[in-house]
Amino acid sequence: MDHKGVEEILSSKRILISGGTGFVGSATVRALAEKHPKCAITVIDRSPPRPRNALPGGIRCMQVDVTSAPEISKAFQTVKPNIVIHTAGIVPGLADRFGRRLEKKVWTINVVGTQNMLDAATENGAEAFIYTSSCCVVTDDMRSSYANIDERWPTSSNSLIYGESKVATAEALVLNASSEKMATCALRPSVLCGPGDYQLVPAIHACIAKYETPFVIGTGDNLWDVTHVSNVADSHVLAVENMVSCRTAAGEAFFIQNNEPITFRNFCLAIWAHFGHVPTFEIRIPEGLAYLAGWLCEMATWVTGGTTTLSRGSVRDACAVRYANGKKAKEILGYEARIGIEDAIRLSCEVSQDYELCPCAASGSGFMMSKKILVTYLEFQEYAHGIGVKLPAKG
Amino acid sequence: MGLVGNAVYYTFHPIQLRSIIQWKVWHNPPHERNATNDTETQKACFKFLDLTSRSFSAVIKELHPELLFPVCVFYLVLRGLDTIEDDTSIDLKTKEPLLRGFKDILEQDGWNFTGNRPEEKDRELLVQFQNVIAEFKNMKPAYQVIIKDITDKMGNGMADYCVKAATDDASVKTIEEYDLYCHYVAGLVGEGLTRLFVEADLANPALLKRPRLHKSMGLFLQKTNIIRDIREDFDDDRRFWPQEIWSKHVDKFEDLFKPENRDAALACNADMILNALEHVEDCLFYLAGLREQSVFNFCAIPQAMAIATLELCFRNYSIFERNIKITKGDACELMVQSTQNLQVLCQTFRKFSRQIHKKNTPKDPNFLKISIECGRIEKFIETIFPTQRAEDAQQRVKGELTVEQAKKREEDAENKADICFMMGLMGVIILFVAGSMMAVAWWFGARFDLAWQEITSGHFRPPPHVVEKASRVAAAAASASTAARDEL
Repeated sequence: MDHKGVEEILSSKRILISGGTGFVGSATVRALAEKHPKCAITVIDRSPPRPRNALPGGIRCMQVDVTSAPEISKAFQTVKPNIVIHTAGIVPGLADRFGRRLEKKVWTINVVGTQNMLDAATENGAEAFIYTSSCCVVTDDMRSSYANIDERWPTSSNSLIYGESKVATAEALVLNASSEKMATCALRPSVLCGPGDYQLVPAIHACIAKYETPFVIGTGDNLWDVTHVSNVADSHVLAVENMVSCRTAAGEAFFIQNNEPITFRNFCLAIWAHFGHVPTFEIRIPEGLAYLAGWLCEMATWVTGGTTTLSRGSVRDACAVRYANGKKAKEILGYEARIGIEDAIRLSCEVSQDYELCPCAASGSGFMMSKKILVTYLEFQEYAHGIGVKLPAKG
Repeated sequence: MGLVGNAVYYTFHPIQLRSIIQWKVWHNPPHERNATNDTETQKACFKFLDLTSRSFSAVIKELHPELLFPVCVFYLVLRGLDTIEDDTSIDLKTKEPLLRGFKDILEQDGWNFTGNRPEEKDRELLVQFQNVIAEFKNMKPAYQVIIKDITDKMGNGMADYCVKAATDDASVKTIEEYDLYCHYVAGLVGEGLTRLFVEADLANPALLKRPRLHKSMGLFLQKTNIIRDIREDFDDDRRFWPQEIWSKHVDKFEDLFKPENRDAALACNADMILNALEHVEDCLFYLAGLREQSVFNFCAIPQAMAIATLELCFRNYSIFERNIKITKGDACELMVQSTQNLQVLCQTFRKFSRQIHKKNTPKDPNFLKISIECGRIEKFIETIFPTQRAEDAQQRVKGELTVEQAKKREEDAENKADICFMMGLMGVIILFVAGSMMAVAWWFGARFDLAWQEITSGHFRPPPHVVEKASRVAAAAASASTAARDEL
C-alpha cells in the first residue's frame, strides 16, 4: 500500500501510547504526530509530561499506572483506541542492573503491566498492539557473545532481571496474543541515546571526573549497537503503518538499531572528546583481572552497603560483543536509521544536557539528574562548563 | 641492505625470516607453467613481463593456462599505453592520436614505437611491441574483443587527462574526479580482468552484473598506492590527493609536508585512508565470486598487500617524508594467507582493520567515521563467515549440546574408558607378578607367618644385631665372590 493510503487509514484511528512521557514514548509521540498529524493520540503515563521529554501540542495526557488493572481498563474505555503502543516499562539503573534487589518491582511493571495492557486492548477491540521490547531479551544472558545476531536467536530465561522480565512479556505474552482480531509485534531496540537519555551518556561522561577514562577493559575490540531514540520512534511509526495495512509484522519481533556497530571503547572516547577530554594515556586491563576486581568491589559494597560502578556484570557488559543485523526490520518494516551514529552521539552530548540542566540550574542544588552520577556542585560545575553552559552563582 | 645487514636484520626478526621460508618452501603454485614449448614471441612477452613488473609477473605466471597469455598480453598492452602517457618528452600532437588509436594499433602486424626518450624505463617494450601484437592475434577472438575494448576506454581516458593537463591544470579537485581518475587507471583493469575471468568460466558471471564490485577492486589498489606514494609523487610534481579532502586540513597542498602542520597532515592522511576503506566490503564480496584458485590468488594477493599497506600508512607521518613499504617477511606472510581461501583472507582483513581501529584517536576529526567504517568491515566479515550460529545458540539455551560438543563429550567418555581399562590391566599384572614372587619365596621357605607376627607386634625393622649380622654375612659373601673371581 502506498503512503497516501496508509495516511488515510491512520487519519481515522485513535492511538494510545503507554509510557508516552518517557524517553522512547515521547519520541514516538513526536514522530507519529509529525508523520500522521490527523490521527488522535492519547498518552497514558504514571507521571505527567516531563520537561526533558517534550510532547507536541494537542496530545491528550492521562495519568495512569500500568500496574493497576482497573485504572488501565478505565482509560481504555474512555479512549477506545484502535492501536496500542506499549512503551511503558522500567529499566533498572546501572547499579541495580546486575543485582536482584529490584526484581519484584521490575517484574510487576514490565510483566504485570503488559498483561494489563493486553487484556484491556483485547476487551476494547484494539486491532493492533505494538510492544517496545529490548535487545536484552537475547543479550542479557551474559554467558555468550552476540556478533551479528538476528531474530532467530533464542531468548533466554537465564539472564538479568531486566532481560528476564522483558522476555516473559515480549515473547510469551505479546507475541502469543497475536490473532486475526488483534495483530501484535515487538520491537527490540539496542542501547539508546539521544535527547532525554539520563542513563548512558551521563554515566559515560561521569568517568571523566572520576579519572576512569584511561582504563580499557579487555581488548577494546568488542562491537556494540547503539540506537538514537528518534530512530526507534521511526520504527514504531513503521510498525503502526504495517499493522494497519499488510500486517506482515504480526506476531514478529524485530531488532532495531542504528546498524552501525561501534566498539564500546570508541563510543566512550567519542563522548569524552565531545566534552573536550582525550585520555593522555591508556592502560589495558585484561578481562580476567577486571572481573576479579569487579568481584572484590561487589564484596566491599556488600559489606558497606553502597553501590559500585565496577562489578562483574559491568565488566562483562564492557567486554561484550552485542550487535544485530537489521535485515528483518528492513525487509518487513522498511526500517532504516535516519540519524547516523555520529549525529546521534553529537546530539546526545549537546541537546540532552541542555534539557537536563535547566530545571536543576534553577533549583541551585548540587544534586541533579541521577544522584548517583553527579554528586557535588563542583562536578556539576565542571560538567556544565564542559558542555558550555553558564551556571547561576551558588546559593 | 647487504648480506651482513640482512643477516643482522633477520637475526632480530626471526618471524619475518620464518614467513619468507614458509612462502618459498611451502607454496605450491596451482598451475605450474611449462616454458619449454614457448614460441619466440611468447618468450619475449614473458621477458617483458619480468622486466616491467616485479610483483605481478609471479602471480600472472601461476594463472590457469587458459588465461595465462590473455592476462599477460593485457598487462603488457596497458603497460605500453602507460609508457606513452607517462613520457613528457612526447608532445601532445603525437601523443593524443597514439593514445586514442591504440586499440587499432593492436591489429597492425609488426608495429612498434621508438619515440620514447631513452630514460623511459619501459622503452624497450614499445621498441619490440610487435611480439605483443603477435601474441594478441593468437588469442581467442572473445578475449581480443575484451582487451581491445578496455584499451579503447583507457586510451581515451588518458588522452583526455593529457589534454586537460596541457590546457588546464590537471590536479584532482573533487572526490568524484579522484574516483574517476582511479577508475581510468585501475578500475578499467578490474573490468577487463573480470570479463576475461567470466569468459573463461573461472568466475561467477554475476560479477559482471555488479560493476561496482570490480571497480572497487581497482580503486582500492590505486588509492592505496596514491596514499603511500604521496611524497614521491609530490617530488615529481604530481598531485593525486583530491583538493576536496586536503583542503579540509591545510590551506595549500605543500603545507602537508611542513613539520609544523604535522597534526593536520595526519588528519588528512586518516581522511584519505577512510576514503579508501570504503571499498573493502566490495572487494571481499568480489573475491567471493571467483571460482578458481589461481584466479583467486591473482586477485587476493594485491588486495591483502593493499590493506596491510593502508594499516602501515594509517596515521604514520613517515609517508610525508619518504616512501614506506611493508617488509619482505610481512609480504610473504600475506601471500601465504591470501593464497588459501576467502575465510583466511577475511581474517587477515579483520586483523588489519582492528589494527587501524587501535591507531585511531579521538583527536582526529574523523575519529567516529573511521571507527564506524572498521565496525562495518567487521560486521560484513561476520555476515559471510559467522563465528556463531543461531541453531547453536538455541541448543545452548535449551541445555542441549551442539553436534561438535556431543561428539567431543562422546570422545572424552571413550578416552576415559580406555584409560580405566589400561589402569585395571596394569593392576592385575602387578598383582599377578607380586603373587607369583611371593609364591616362589614361600616355596623356598620364606616364613611369612613370622614376618606377619613381627609386623603386628609393631616391629617394622629388624633388630640392630640382626642388621649387623646380615651386613657381616653380606660382606663375607662379597669377599668370597672377589676371592672366587681372583681365582678364576
